[in-house]
Amino acid sequence: MQVVREHRDDLIGRVRLLAAAVTGLLVLIASGFWFVQIAQGDYYRELAENNRLRKLPIIAPRGLIFDRRGRLLVENLPSYNLMVDRSRTTDVERSLAFAATVLARPLGDLEDLMERYRGVPVYKPVLLAENLSLAEVARFGVEALEYPEFEVEVQQTRLYRHREQTAHVIGYIGEATPDEIERSAGAVSPGDVAGKKGVEKRYDAVLRGKDGSRVVVVDSRGELLREYGRVPSAPGRDLTLSLDLELQQEAASWLDGPDKVGAIIVMDPRNGELLALVSSPSFNSNLFTHRLQENDWQALLDAPNNPLQNRAMQNAYSPGSTFKIVMATAGLSEHLIDERFRLSCAGSTVIYNHSFRCWRKEGHGSVNVVEALERSCDVFFYHLGQRLGIERIARYARLFGLGALTGIDIPGEKEGLVPDAAWSLKARHQPWYAGETISVAIGQGPMLLTPLQMAAMTAMVANGGYRVTPHLVQNLPYPPPQKVSLDPQALALVRKGLWAVVNEPGGTAYTAARVPGLDIAGKTGSVQVIAQKVRTKAETLPFKYRDHGWFTSFAPESDPRLVVSVFVEHGGSGHNAAPIAKALYQKYLSIEASHAGVY
Amino acid sequence: MPAFTEEKPALRHLSSIDGGLVLSVLLLSAIGLATVHSASSEMAVDYLPRQALWFGIGAALLVAAMSIDYHVLLDLSIVLYGAGLVLLVLVLVAGAAHGGAAHWARIGGWQFQPSEFAKLATVLVLARYLSGLNRRVLELTQILVAVAIVAVPMVLVLVEPDLGSSMMFAPILIGMLLVAGVRLRVLVLAALAAVVLAAGMWSFGMKTYQRQRVLTFLSPETDPLGAGYQVRQSKIAVGSGEMTGKGYMQGTQSQLRFLPVRHTDFILSVLAEEWGFLGVLTVLGLYALYVASAARIAMRARDRAGILLVTGLLSVLCFHVLYNSAMVVGFVPITGIPLPFLSYGGSFTLVNFVGTGTMLGVDLRRYVNR
Repeated sequence: MQVVREHRDDLIGRVRLLAAAVTGLLVLIASGFWFVQIAQGDYYRELAENNRLRKLPIIAPRGLIFDRRGRLLVENLPSYNLMVDRSRTTDVERSLAFAATVLARPLGDLEDLMERYRGVPVYKPVLLAENLSLAEVARFGVEALEYPEFEVEVQQTRLYRHREQTAHVIGYIGEATPDEIERSAGAVSPGDVAGKKGVEKRYDAVLRGKDGSRVVVVDSRGELLREYGRVPSAPGRDLTLSLDLELQQEAASWLDGPDKVGAIIVMDPRNGELLALVSSPSFNSNLFTHRLQENDWQALLDAPNNPLQNRAMQNAYSPGSTFKIVMATAGLSEHLIDERFRLSCAGSTVIYNHSFRCWRKEGHGSVNVVEALERSCDVFFYHLGQRLGIERIARYARLFGLGALTGIDIPGEKEGLVPDAAWSLKARHQPWYAGETISVAIGQGPMLLTPLQMAAMTAMVANGGYRVTPHLVQNLPYPPPQKVSLDPQALALVRKGLWAVVNEPGGTAYTAARVPGLDIAGKTGSVQVIAQKVRTKAETLPFKYRDHGWFTSFAPESDPRLVVSVFVEHGGSGHNAAPIAKALYQKYLSIEASHAGVY
Repeated sequence: MPAFTEEKPALRHLSSIDGGLVLSVLLLSAIGLATVHSASSEMAVDYLPRQALWFGIGAALLVAAMSIDYHVLLDLSIVLYGAGLVLLVLVLVAGAAHGGAAHWARIGGWQFQPSEFAKLATVLVLARYLSGLNRRVLELTQILVAVAIVAVPMVLVLVEPDLGSSMMFAPILIGMLLVAGVRLRVLVLAALAAVVLAAGMWSFGMKTYQRQRVLTFLSPETDPLGAGYQVRQSKIAVGSGEMTGKGYMQGTQSQLRFLPVRHTDFILSVLAEEWGFLGVLTVLGLYALYVASAARIAMRARDRAGILLVTGLLSVLCFHVLYNSAMVVGFVPITGIPLPFLSYGGSFTLVNFVGTGTMLGVDLRRYVNR
């Protein structure tokens, strides 16, 4: 242990000096506070009371939304809100009575509303009424001297011109939540609106401008005396959607009404542009643009069939017979069958000691793959399924994009389910049963897909095996169509089969979907809601027990420009979905005729 | 040497812990939490829970820093200093890659400011260097070495660019050199050098917005929406608080969002508005208690190293307190210098607790021979 004589005493003296200097400075600063708070306190109190300088926001208008032909879908309208600053009145009852007269509303309503603001500091203006008429605005303006506590606030409100018809695509906006404010990293402030759903949400950063601000000098009444400085606002950018309003409206009209539940997608198979996307039931987006709306919100939550859910991408369903598209492609690509391969359907068949029935009791006789698609022969695909096995079926389903997000540019998409042995062990804790493969072969097992995935899958058949990303906003860098390793010859044969479905007298959609002059190719499908021992006519069953119906299609067969996928919950069968697609193709032709060659 | 030097070191002397220092930190932290809550009541997020969490972590680090023998820290100081410099360079490179200022380092989702860490490391290295020079006054070369030790991290922070944080390194140097001992003529020379340096900074080292701030400070009316607006709003808030204040959560200037960054740099304005001059006096009094306690610890420390270490830590804290409080009443230009224990902030809070813990550690070992 060494002991060094250190020069400690000098240091200690200097520390004392330093501490004294700091204390002296603290006293100096304290006297500065004394000067500002005590000597000049009156002056600053007056400034604070008068709030002479006010920083007012300059609200940046949100971008407008147009359809592909430049038709306005969403616009901004000024709307007037009545605010009340309770610190400016000594008699709140009198203020409320006046407001109730002008607004022609029961005094009790306003009193109840006021009760809710009990915790808000009195000098903070609170919202008393929304959407004032111009006459009401004028009334409060005229009486401003008598009732200075009322302020009319001008706001830009969103107007969704086509309400329910575009609600699931465009979504809506609402007051930003603390979470959204934090994630925006400064772009969104409390009180701002933010996109909550659909395009409004996904492209919020594009549509939202940047609010500016101005500092104004006001007198004690809040009257503006002069402007002190200003930062201009930057308006949000407009968006053009790939949607075609006329097609969208036509599609929406087919699913409009009670018990009309389902989804419709119209897409360009060459690039993934969505021309229509409908989910029913829908909701009125305009309900969300105001702040006082609890009743409407509750009504939507309580409504049957959940109108807030976008069935086109948030619900997954069994594919039914439409899955035979995947099965046929897989069998042909794997060279398990070819065009000459034939199989005889006697109305049922026995596999793994279990009898599997064809939907047609009397059977289809000898069919090849094209005829099996045309007539939707179950027995043909039961045997093909047995030979493919679940793993190969799952692999081809995934090649068609099933079990994965399509990448559509609106949030909330579901990925569906492609079952295989590994899934069965993991999710159900039991091995995959070979018999289940036979059900999957006709699209009935645990396989699930969304109508949007159905459309994307159909597009791959139509465009010769390219995966496209369905999207609504044009001119953004989407992944280019991606070649998938599907045998082009197999796809060509499948297209032939799907053409036959609509255009051969024996096809399952011959009567329902054929449009003279347009080579439509498609596939019907039904999804059993309850197991039926004996097939009954759909009309005789209660609504909720009726089968779901699918129809997915593209046209023209030789050079596809359009994919139409229709799903109708409890629609009975694919025969009821097909006429909707037919109407949309006819609408498309008439639009094309009136806008010659703009598509 | 007294007999008890043979006893085991450290924490059996816990009863001799400095009450003044602990009390001032506890009271300041409590006042800080309450004021942060009030300041953020009109913001999107209430910063109270987060700040409470920082205080919790800070308290744990305080105990840890107190438990480590400061001689061990001094032995490690060069490694820590080196690590601090590496972090600063990394932040600089990452910032350049992102095409802009970046004062933050991110480690596994946790952000912190390396400049805060570098401050502590610089104090340690300087304390170690100066304590080894056992003389009444320092020679010029020794002073230049000390300047170099501080200048390297300071310049790295300055080019980030973060003028406010880089200024924090100056009090380390000044306080520790003064205590270590410098001749009067060196002081005069240094003052001259500072003037030259400031002029050079103005011409070459400062960004337009920083020059603007200084100009605005000199004539606030020129920039009503920027710094001038802030000073004015801060003074209105402080002044309208008068003697007893408007009451907790009742500050109209603060609550009506006139005040910018009121939970960090302008936390004292919120306090002054809501608690008045009496509230400000209480807070400044608590800082005075902290300063007096820390100075007492320095003066009774066992060795030069302890004295210098406490001096360095105290100098930084004093500068924060003096600058921030002077800024709030408009004495000095606005720059981002928060108030210890009151302003919201993660890294900053932790550094203050670690610094206080280190001081307490020096104090606990005042009777112990190494």
